[in-house]
Amino acid sequence: MRNLMARLMRRHAVTILACAGVLAGFQLLMCAIVATIDIGGALEQLVAFAPPAIQAMISQSVLAGGTVPGLMAFAWNHPITHALAMAVPIMLAARAVAGEVESGTIELVLAQPISRVTWLAAHVVFALAAMGVVAGAGVTATAVGQRIFDIDAFTHVRLLALLAAFLLLQLSVFAITLAFSAVSREAGRVAFAGVMVALMSYLVQAVAALWPRVESLGRYSLHHYYDPRALLVEGRFDPLVVIVLLGTAVVAGAVAVHAFRSRDLP
Amino acid sequence: MPDAIPLAAERLSKTFGQTRALHGVSFTVEPGEIFGYLGPNGAGKTTTLRIALGLVRASQGSIRLFGGEPGDPASRRRIGFLPGDLRLYGDVRASQLLDWFARFRPLAPPRLRNELIDRFSLEAAALAQRVKFLSHGTRQKLGLIIAFQHDPELLLLDEPSNGLDPLVQQAFLELILETARRGRAVLFSSHLLHEVQAVCTRVAILRAGELVALERIEKLRALVVRRLTAEFPGPVPPGLLELPQVARARVDGHVARLWVHGDLAPVLAILANSNVRDLVFPEAELEDIFLSYYRGSERHA
Repeated sequence: MRNLMARLMRRHAVTILACAGVLAGFQLLMCAIVATIDIGGALEQLVAFAPPAIQAMISQSVLAGGTVPGLMAFAWNHPITHALAMAVPIMLAARAVAGEVESGTIELVLAQPISRVTWLAAHVVFALAAMGVVAGAGVTATAVGQRIFDIDAFTHVRLLALLAAFLLLQLSVFAITLAFSAVSREAGRVAFAGVMVALMSYLVQAVAALWPRVESLGRYSLHHYYDPRALLVEGRFDPLVVIVLLGTAVVAGAVAVHAFRSRDLP
Repeated sequence: MPDAIPLAAERLSKTFGQTRALHGVSFTVEPGEIFGYLGPNGAGKTTTLRIALGLVRASQGSIRLFGGEPGDPASRRRIGFLPGDLRLYGDVRASQLLDWFARFRPLAPPRLRNELIDRFSLEAAALAQRVKFLSHGTRQKLGLIIAFQHDPELLLLDEPSNGLDPLVQQAFLELILETARRGRAVLFSSHLLHEVQAVCTRVAILRAGELVALERIEKLRALVVRRLTAEFPGPVPPGLLELPQVARARVDGHVARLWVHGDLAPVLAILANSNVRDLVFPEAELEDIFLSYYRGSERHA
């Protein structure tokens, strides 16, 4: 398993570090914006990044608080943050099986003395580490940014709760994409499916937050269970976050293992 | 189970949807044996090897490696494999790739690697290159080294000489013979008759997923019908067409086209004593063997 992970490290290290670096940079930038620009101006800048539908959501959710912590929490729900968060799990899951089948390399590797479960386990462990690096870099950047720019926003406990929820969201998307990957032969299609799942989940939550009549739809979105505002501003960690996101990951992961073990390769 | 048969296939069948890839294939590969697995492209050779490696599940029947299940890592620890369509990670250096594959077997160090590098004339510069920059032939050499470097007890080789130049092909055939002399079993899948004839002791012939024949190589040689065309300055020498080895003949003026089976010596003796203007004696082809078998089965029908 270490051998497989060494290979994954070699192949993906640059991409993972790049995502982690950009996320950390973005969170630092948010700290700088919040600390150096008045709230109204900062809000305006944040809103300018986002598409119109998201702008409405931002205005509603952020203006409701209108505080420094509120803006800092919003930085963790920004589309850029979500895009960076989803890139790593979707890429790793798509390449784990479908990518290797597509490139034809899986035949020789799985002829070595390793089981398919070991193969998948190596990819899952590596993905967990990679997602941890990305999420950790972002949360660390927020903590460091608070100190640098002298913002007394969040305690470490709340930041750790955010880290856990962010990781669980990434893990659930990874597991769903891995289930697609386990039955597919083309990494591109799998990645597209993974992006669609993440995007639909994000949009459903956004629409549910904006439109009271369809508010109940929000519970069907993975993003509904990742709420930086509740975690950071209100200090509320709902056990449903763990139950739903981890449960989704476990179920999708089990589907992936079953499908991969029983399929013909390559 | 050190004494178990390296590979035993029993009534192996595989269907992909409506397509029947294998049907009732049974054979064994014994220690020290080079077993030829012969068939045209699409006959089911690769599917058999993939079932043996646990990559593809048999629809019916079974394959056992050293008495164990194909997907069992303990069985796979004892084999070396070269796929027919070899794809390697392109972003690593060749030497790193060899190390990486060797690390899957910490208890079986790659003790043959240096010898194989010498045999296949793989230069240090090639080993230092990233795999994606290597030629097809060099990648094939790498694939062979990956398969052989830990001196496995069973080698599964799917079209192994693909892309090798004639000198390296010769070195490879010698390597297989030496490997078998050390008691290793080799399953050598190929669609090239001459290659299989050169090294194999027994041959299974597969066509459209079914085993057409399972013979010792001597018997196969006797069954092969060879095509021979001889042009004479005058009439075709008397007696040539009447030889029992000549299964069929067609004379067109001074040109004789012969289909010869069994011992060639009497035919060659007559030709040697004749004034032959031109002689075309191509390599026997797989199709000729199939024709022999079909004729045989028609006669028995």
